[in-house]
Amino acid sequence: MLKKLMLSGSALAFCASATVAYADAPQAIVDAATKEAQLTVIALPHDWCGYGAVIDGFKKKYPGITVNELNPDAGSGDEIQAIKANQGNTGPQAPDVIDVGLSFGPSAKQDKLIQPYKVSTWDSIPDSAKDADGYWYGDYYGVMAFLVNDDLVKNPPKTWADLQKPEYANQIALSGDPRVSNQAIQSVYAAGLASGGKAGADAGTKGLDFFAKLNAASNFVPVIGKAATVAQGTSPITTNWDYNALAWRDGFAGNPKAEVIVPSDAVVAGVYIQAISAYAPHVNAAKLWMEYLYSDEGQIGWLAGYCHPIRFNDLAKNGKIPQDLLAKLPDPALYAKAVFPTLDEQAAAKDVITKQWDSVVKANVK
Amino acid sequence: MKPSKIWSWVIFALGVLYFLGPLIATIDFSLRIHREGYSLDAYRNVIQQPEFQQTLTYSLVVGVAAIIVGLLVVVPAAYFVRLRTPQLRPVIEFVTLLPLIIPPIILVFGYIRMYNSSSLLPLTNSAWGTNLLLTLAYVALALPYMYRAVDTGLRTIDVQTLTEAANILGAKTPTIIMRIILPNIIVAVLSGAFLTLAIVIGEFTIASLLNRPAFGVYMQNVGANRAFEPAALAVISFVITWVAMGMIQLLARFAPRTNARS
Amino acid sequence: MRWGDLLGIAPFLLFAILFLIVPTVYLVIGAFVGRDGNFTLQNIVDLGTPQIISSFWISIRVSAASAIVGALLGLILALAVIRGRLPETVRSTVMTFSGVASNFAGIPLAFAFIATLGRLGLVTVILKLWPFEFDIYRHGFNLLSFWGLTITYCYFQIPLMVLIIAPAIDGLRKEWSEAASTLGATPIQFWRYIGLPVLWPNLLGTLSLLFANAFGAIATAYALTGSSLNIVPILLYAQIRGDVLNNPGLGAALALGMIVITALANVVYLVIRTRAERWLK
Repeated sequence: MLKKLMLSGSALAFCASATVAYADAPQAIVDAATKEAQLTVIALPHDWCGYGAVIDGFKKKYPGITVNELNPDAGSGDEIQAIKANQGNTGPQAPDVIDVGLSFGPSAKQDKLIQPYKVSTWDSIPDSAKDADGYWYGDYYGVMAFLVNDDLVKNPPKTWADLQKPEYANQIALSGDPRVSNQAIQSVYAAGLASGGKAGADAGTKGLDFFAKLNAASNFVPVIGKAATVAQGTSPITTNWDYNALAWRDGFAGNPKAEVIVPSDAVVAGVYIQAISAYAPHVNAAKLWMEYLYSDEGQIGWLAGYCHPIRFNDLAKNGKIPQDLLAKLPDPALYAKAVFPTLDEQAAAKDVITKQWDSVVKANVK
Repeated sequence: MKPSKIWSWVIFALGVLYFLGPLIATIDFSLRIHREGYSLDAYRNVIQQPEFQQTLTYSLVVGVAAIIVGLLVVVPAAYFVRLRTPQLRPVIEFVTLLPLIIPPIILVFGYIRMYNSSSLLPLTNSAWGTNLLLTLAYVALALPYMYRAVDTGLRTIDVQTLTEAANILGAKTPTIIMRIILPNIIVAVLSGAFLTLAIVIGEFTIASLLNRPAFGVYMQNVGANRAFEPAALAVISFVITWVAMGMIQLLARFAPRTNARS
Repeated sequence: MRWGDLLGIAPFLLFAILFLIVPTVYLVIGAFVGRDGNFTLQNIVDLGTPQIISSFWISIRVSAASAIVGALLGLILALAVIRGRLPETVRSTVMTFSGVASNFAGIPLAFAFIATLGRLGLVTVILKLWPFEFDIYRHGFNLLSFWGLTITYCYFQIPLMVLIIAPAIDGLRKEWSEAASTLGATPIQFWRYIGLPVLWPNLLGTLSLLFANAFGAIATAYALTGSSLNIVPILLYAQIRGDVLNNPGLGAALALGMIVITALANVVYLVIRTRAERWLK
């Protein structure tokens, strides 16, 4: 144990002195990680941000390390729960690293569930997307968009306000439970911003009112929207992160025809963060994984999955982004308008939305 | 009794409509992966994945193990409660209702905390230990059905007389249970076994939190992001469970014909 | 009680203690632990909020509805198949199918019903065509509703009923109905004085089983009416998963509430059954 600590300590020192070379991870970490021979990740669906390809790339680069994938369908809360439940367990159920919504970072840090680590490319991560002490750090972001089944929706909505139109009766669903899922909560928040709400709790309230109206007009379908329900027709319009919507659209392969529309009246960006578990059984493998994710190779892997990597601006400045990848993404002009809610705004809105969804929207099953 | 026979057919027909309807709709949807016409591509996509076979085999093996352990735990207990210690019946019945009340997620969190690498019984540390834990979790989940099935089976045979007769002939208790009681309640036991197998094949929460490569976990992963493959997978899992059960039924033909079935 | 008796029950009790009771106790203790880790009754008090009370109430209603409907229809189906003089193959097919269907739940089941009775479902569309020309949605039906959920739940409740009551129906000896008809009883009299009273304890027991089964079911309800249904397991998952609300103590209190309610159902069943069994061995 002490040996590992010393190794990682010296590796960190090495990192600090070699910040210019963004290429490969420090050899000391590679060696220590290979000795651990395993990495346990959680909640990484292969279709989310192209994680399938990212994991394969990691395995190819470091063949001595097996990647143990837990519960790809887990939500951010499940990941935190997995760390808590596995304190003291060094078996394969304990996650080494987590990828959770932005707002989970500070609470995880407070609950002492994560440990700090600054990757070699630390400086190119925007300050607003990382913890100053290195406990958590933004990894990628996307914006809230609509996935529309063009076979069933003749005139796709272009804005949040459009959703209220009677032509979309019984067509609109959220892609998660707004009392629990980050993606669904941010959908409500974006609707609130589009309705003129101020950032924070106000947008939360206005978002709830928006959905209450949507429900009263019977435009809202209380089902949890998935690729299957979009294709089958129960919820031909769903609200998702753009990368999820794009991945689902690709999965349809033309049946049904679908398009991804970023609503122009409110573009809300959602940042996810990486962190290493404080109880990680394979600390060095975890650090190596982080080094890989934040290397150019890892970041571009996410871009191929339609997610905007956190070092996007830095990569663009250095001309590292392949042109064909750029072409597949939605219009960059929309991303210029993107609003990044701060931690406080998110927390306030989340509080309002989760507590009042049932009473305001009254979508209760009768 | 002509009229009652017609009614029986009518009821059966209505049952067929209700139960086959959703299945047909799912099959219909799963065949529509291409814009024109029906195609089996969704099924092909699913079956060709190696994970499909691996996870399916794993779940079937765990299912059989859970049935065997379940029988070992339930049959002696039900027998003794019925025969000698009826005062323990309420206790046992309450225990068998516990798995229905405790959400699986609580159960598995409890297991992880109690049997992880820093406890007296570090089951989660090894693959076989975790497999054991998973099997026991499934035995727990199936306990209500297994117990009720066995108990109902015991209720219909005259346990007292059979035991006394066997005792007179010199049989010890294990022999009595294995060679007299069990064959007589085989039909009831089978229904408990059916349910256990069906539970195991579809189960997701416990398997995913214990990180075991089970079929339910695989089904959930496929269902998260694809449109047509989940429907194909649901149909396949339905058919597979049916086949497995058909095989159990086939084995039952070799069991001695009992009073209860006449 | 001899030693041998205890030995027979030992595996069961050992299993129950290690793998059922201790985790439950763990949970029950958790209901009395506050966020700060100290003993508190606050979680129990928090159960009294209108949102949680209404969620318990709708859970009870949904579970009761699907249990009663499932039990009734299951009993009818089981009687038809077992005593209705249908061919033996019908019975074995139904039993096998019941084994499979009783566990067909969660997302696949919800989706199957959406694909059948949803707005664009197969049956909905067929009924709109000739010769029916009947739009069920225009007449007030909605799959994503209380009764839609009940209809969906019946898909696993009915087979469960069939499976569990079948051995009991088998136990209604042919000799009894023959003796009754010799004495001049009509089928209705047979059922009223012999059949139903004999089956009664089993019926009640299975009813409470079905109730508990529905009460704890979450995946199907979630998949069908995810963001509009507020049954207890969904609430519990939200608390225990800690995704947003993160009050595991409250989650444990919710689970405790669930245990109390199902235990009550069980007590009622036991009382009625002991009375009914007085004349039955």
